[in-house]
Amino acid sequence: MRSTVAIASALVLGCSSELPAPLPQGHPDDATPRRGGVLQTATFGDIRSLDPANLGDGLAPQLVQLIYAGLVDYDRDGNIVPDLAERYEIDPSGTRYRFFLRHGVRFHDGEELTAEDVRRSFRRSLARKTPNAAKSFYFTIQGAEDYANGKADDIAGLKVEDTYIVSFLLKEPDATFLPVLSLQAVRPVCRSAGEAFSADFFPCGTGPFKLQSWRPGERVTLSRHDGYFRPGLPYLDGVEFTIGVSMLAQRLKFESGALDLFRDILQPDLLRYRKDPRWTPYGAYDPASQMAGEGMNVEMAPFDNVELRRAVSAAIDREQYRLVKPTMLHALTQPVPQGVRGHNPNLVCQKYDEAAALEHMRRAGYAYDPVTKTGGYPRAIPYYAYPAGVTEYTSQVLAQQLARIGIRLDLRLVSYAAWLAITHRRGQAAFSYQGWKSDYSDPSNFTETLFHSSAINDEDTNNPSFYANPKLDAMLDAAHKEMDGPKRAGMYDTIQQFICDEAPWAFTYSVSFYNVWQPYVRGYKPHPMWQNEVRETWLDRPGTGRGAQASGRMGHGKEALLAPARSLPRDP
Amino acid sequence: MKPAGLRARFLRQKGTLVGLALVLALLAFAAAGPWISSHDPFASDFQRGIAGELPVGPSREFWLGTDRIYRDQLVRLAYGARLSLLIGLMATAIASVIGGAVGIVAGFFEGGRGLRIPWLSVAAFVASVALLPRSIPLSLGLFGAALIGVLAAQITGKAPLGAFELNLDQSLMSFVDVGLSFPFMLLVMAVGASFEHTSVTTILVTLGLTGWLGTARIVRAKTLEVRNREFVLAARALGQSTPRILVMHVLPNVRGPLLAIATLSVAQMILAESVLSYVGAGVSPPTPTWGHMLFEGQEVFGAAPWLFLGPAGFILVAVFGFNLLGEGLRHALDRSDR
Repeated sequence: MRSTVAIASALVLGCSSELPAPLPQGHPDDATPRRGGVLQTATFGDIRSLDPANLGDGLAPQLVQLIYAGLVDYDRDGNIVPDLAERYEIDPSGTRYRFFLRHGVRFHDGEELTAEDVRRSFRRSLARKTPNAAKSFYFTIQGAEDYANGKADDIAGLKVEDTYIVSFLLKEPDATFLPVLSLQAVRPVCRSAGEAFSADFFPCGTGPFKLQSWRPGERVTLSRHDGYFRPGLPYLDGVEFTIGVSMLAQRLKFESGALDLFRDILQPDLLRYRKDPRWTPYGAYDPASQMAGEGMNVEMAPFDNVELRRAVSAAIDREQYRLVKPTMLHALTQPVPQGVRGHNPNLVCQKYDEAAALEHMRRAGYAYDPVTKTGGYPRAIPYYAYPAGVTEYTSQVLAQQLARIGIRLDLRLVSYAAWLAITHRRGQAAFSYQGWKSDYSDPSNFTETLFHSSAINDEDTNNPSFYANPKLDAMLDAAHKEMDGPKRAGMYDTIQQFICDEAPWAFTYSVSFYNVWQPYVRGYKPHPMWQNEVRETWLDRPGTGRGAQASGRMGHGKEALLAPARSLPRDP
Repeated sequence: MKPAGLRARFLRQKGTLVGLALVLALLAFAAAGPWISSHDPFASDFQRGIAGELPVGPSREFWLGTDRIYRDQLVRLAYGARLSLLIGLMATAIASVIGGAVGIVAGFFEGGRGLRIPWLSVAAFVASVALLPRSIPLSLGLFGAALIGVLAAQITGKAPLGAFELNLDQSLMSFVDVGLSFPFMLLVMAVGASFEHTSVTTILVTLGLTGWLGTARIVRAKTLEVRNREFVLAARALGQSTPRILVMHVLPNVRGPLLAIATLSVAQMILAESVLSYVGAGVSPPTPTWGHMLFEGQEVFGAAPWLFLGPAGFILVAVFGFNLLGEGLRHALDRSDR
């Protein structure tokens, strides 16, 4: 009964329409960063591991980003820049990379970073027994695949040349090597991590913050690493992540000042924050790095007929898809989403054109007359999606749109596990919801990964359309090796255009999340790659340099009240 | 039991009349279905149905607002009423038949000689349970075969591959007790989640197979009271067969409580269907049911409360109406209550 009362009051609270005023800055006219204070933030989920070699969930990277630094990283404009490395050299063949480490970089335990630490961390992360899901990204390094499979004792292409110089020999030129190297899986870990992966490792790296305490399911506390190699940074004394806080509770805590920054926002709240002029300067979207589409299996009838695929692609009004959840979805007409390198806003790729769709239907041999509603594809096509988040609704919009060109769908909403098994197995599903979230910011991650014939597997395929075309393969392979930036960009434009026209998927929308922060959180803006990247953020509360501590406990009464409502689902 | 007396007792209670009126109103609403408004229950209206990136609220155009993808909520509720009421009534019918049969048989054979259960029937029953999530017709067929096997063994006294003795009442009631020890909704969710692809049939099977336990208990108690009455003894003395006695003499006397429980159970089934839909084991969209609409509404409660309040209101009215009606029937039919 008590839980009923709590949920009821939570719902009533959730209903209040007026947003409180933003909390003021202490020194609005002074943009000089100030040191001190603990930034409070929260997440609705839990974190399983903070070891870069074992990143199993979507929430850990934001913490790992603050604890560990890498040889290279993305800057705030999305460019790859040297980080632990002072500089790097790529030889003209494009197969040899040399990284010159900064001198005097200190791990959290005080040891100095050397090239040997880079090598040890690589070996630890790629070893056969390490549960690292990103190993295959590094198989472009000579001998890495044999090492990861236990066939070799060492990574042949990874050489320590000097205390501060480490080099990589690649099998062939690879323009995705730097993007992959900027991922977290291979970031240097302290010597206490040992040679082999072990779950006992207490997280320790060279990042701006060190782990102070971690109570699983409750709280992760980070404190400033005084020996961080960038002088003066970070400004914050620490960062506190509260774990498992419902979206509603997060908003209430944020409004009472107990959270300084939050991103798990319920749709109605998001609309209010985005609309309120007092709050708009303190809110922004993360770059969209996930996308979705309608996957058509080109090996199965009726989608072995390219004209039918084109008809579907032209019949989809992506603006209507966006309206299913306008706070989070953006219409997308090409494979690469807006927040990922290689997205080209000027590219006219797939587009909504009902007349063209009807013409494609006619060419496919299934002419449809929308006036008399005769003709069209004669049977209902089974369409697979899972009943969570927005796909349940977009699938119904899809069914309505395709009905207008004479294609009927039999919507089959199955469990996520069933959807995964059915749609990623050969010859099982002709038509299904599909999506992809960026592993690294590069157009190859949304083209080669999904549409190259080598991505086809009978089970657990990465290419759920089973699209195989030697011409596209050749274009993808060439672009993969091309080291000249602008030339490569042009190649991916052509590739995207080709995929759009062949339409193994009808691309529909991209997804991004909104952040809101209090005005006194300064120097913060969403990072193109990492969530809650606060290494250059400072707190500027009125009257005190270290403000977050005092209010950190204010929200607890409400937190207790709201505890039973913590399982609100998150979209999508 | 004279009909006139029954009707008088039934109509004497105001609550019963309110319940009857609510149920009839709901049935009329369901019958009107898609004709209740000019809007199509399956078509989104991306022009008029949307206001400031949110569904429009109750208005002249859309009396109860629009849903997550801008379809008319009222016409979907009316259309959903058909399925929700159908599921409620059908699931109750299944549960009443099973519960009534089990209750009568258990009550009648209480304390009696054991029953010969052929091992083949046991095997068929186990296979039927195992196959349930895969093929409902095959599963029901095997279940039927198991029952026929048991009956045949009693009549002929023979069983290929052997049989064992079982006290029917004790074993049936132990099964019922085990089932009742689980919270009903939990049991419904567990069975519902075992289906890979859900449909109206799977929901009916889920609710029918989990909803009969309480009915069986109550019918058994009533049967225990009836079986030693003079007319049953007389029928037996006249040499009537057991099945005939059960159907002709016992069943008419447990009909009252059975009907009353059934009416109450319709409400519970409508609720249970909402729970199933709520956990994602309901019917596939775009077909609406009240339970599924409730699920869709809770997510945007803060911004569009009508999406939650609409279906919640109808479920409330249905539960209330059937409960009142059931109470009235129970009072009217239960002689000891006079």
